[in-house]
Formats: sequence, structure tokens, C-alpha cells
Amino acid sequence: MPTVNGSEVTKVIVACDAGMGSSVMVASNLRSKLRAKGIDVVHTPVNEIPEGAKLVLCHQGLAARAQSTAPNAVVVPFSIFIGDPAFTRVEDAILQGKTLES
Amino acid sequence: MSPESQLLGANAVRLGLTAADKTEALNQAGALLVEIGAATEAYADALHERETSVSTYVGEGVAIPHGTNESREYIERAALGYLQFPEGVDWDGETVYVCVAIASKSEEHVDILSALAQVLMDPAKAEQLRTATSADDVLSLLSPEPNQE
Repeated sequence: MPTVNGSEVTKVIVACDAGMGSSVMVASNLRSKLRAKGIDVVHTPVNEIPEGAKLVLCHQGLAARAQSTAPNAVVVPFSIFIGDPAFTRVEDAILQGKTLES
Repeated sequence: MSPESQLLGANAVRLGLTAADKTEALNQAGALLVEIGAATEAYADALHERETSVSTYVGEGVAIPHGTNESREYIERAALGYLQFPEGVDWDGETVYVCVAIASKSEEHVDILSALAQVLMDPAKAEQLRTATSADDVLSLLSPEPNQE
């Protein structure tokens, strides 16, 4: 399974089905937390995750599709859009240099 | 008129609606997007399709119905609609009081959704969004804030 240390992450991809709704909101919240650190947070449809993505967040129902689109990326699933513990885990990993894995 | 107010106008704010179930609420959301000239019937149909993959319930009694990636071609112009259901609608076990329906081809609506995300992080503001009594209340809650650097 892919792993990544938070200190190596410069860009976080938030993916959802259409890249139109929920991923926009999640990316917005995450961006406000990580802006000070200079981390880029972008949203995208799950089928269009860019090559070279290291860290992808997506709803648990889409995690398998995200992983097949980006086999080398760490995919962190979440189940609720506001306040999911996964967001805190990703923030902590990036801010404190902890390891994340799919 | 600023681009934001064109994205979500007072004519797209509907208060005090009732819907028996999620399907009916999605029908109303789709019909609203068609009525304001944002999308065609095919996009309205895609709202249902999108819900079958992952629910668009985002928390605090709010859902954000939108189409699939493939249905973007049926969008005429970027726009959002606000639909309030004071009695609540069962949404796969959650209760939805507000639908923010989305039609967008690219990035036009990101600022308003960011504003919505901020509202939902604040329980008092989320309550205001659910219980708004005028279009002005809704528009001011969802107006994009200047970037805070």
C-alpha cells in the first residue's frame, strides 16, 4: 500500500464524483487550514485525479475508484463532509510530518 | 450586478416548501434549475443519478444536489438554487431542511460553496440558513467573503 509522509506533501487532491459539489466544500475547508503552510488544495472529479498525485481525499464510497485512478497515491477516505476525523488526521500529518497510508 | 448575485439570485431562493421524500425534493431542485435557465431536463434527471452513487448530504441538515460529471453538457449557465423544507425531508436516514442545488461547469461557484462550508462549520449560522425567512437572509449568509490571508 502507498504511504507518504506529511512533510513531503505539497498538494492535496480532494476528489468527488463530479468534482462539482462536495469536493469543492471539503477542499475549501482544508485550504483554510493549510494555507499558512503553503499547501495547495485542489478539487477534481474522481476519474480525473492528476498523474503524480501523492495524497487524495475522497468519500469512502469512491475510495476504490480513486485508488484505481491513482494507484500510487495515498487515498484517505472520509464519510462525513463536515468535521470528519480524517481531515484532522491529514492536517496533523502534514503539519507534524506524520506518515499516512491508504 | 456582481457575478455572485447572478449565480444565486433572489428568484432562485424558495422558502417554505414541502416534499414527501428525497425523490420529490430532487424533482423540485431540478425543476428550479430548469426554470431559472441554468440547465435542461437531462441535467435535472442526472440529479437523481448522482444521488445513487454517493448521497449529497453534507451535514447540518443540508444537501447539495448536483449532476454527474457526464451531465455537465446539459448545463446552460452556472447557477445555484436554495430550497427550504421546514418540515424536513428524509435523506437516506438523515433529515434535510435545505437543498442547495448546483449547476456548474467549472469554477464559477467555488466562492459560494466556500461560503456555505463556512456557514456549516458554525452551528449558529447553519441554524440561520435552515430557518431563513427571506431571500435576503439566504443571500447574505451565502455571499462569498473576501479572502482572509
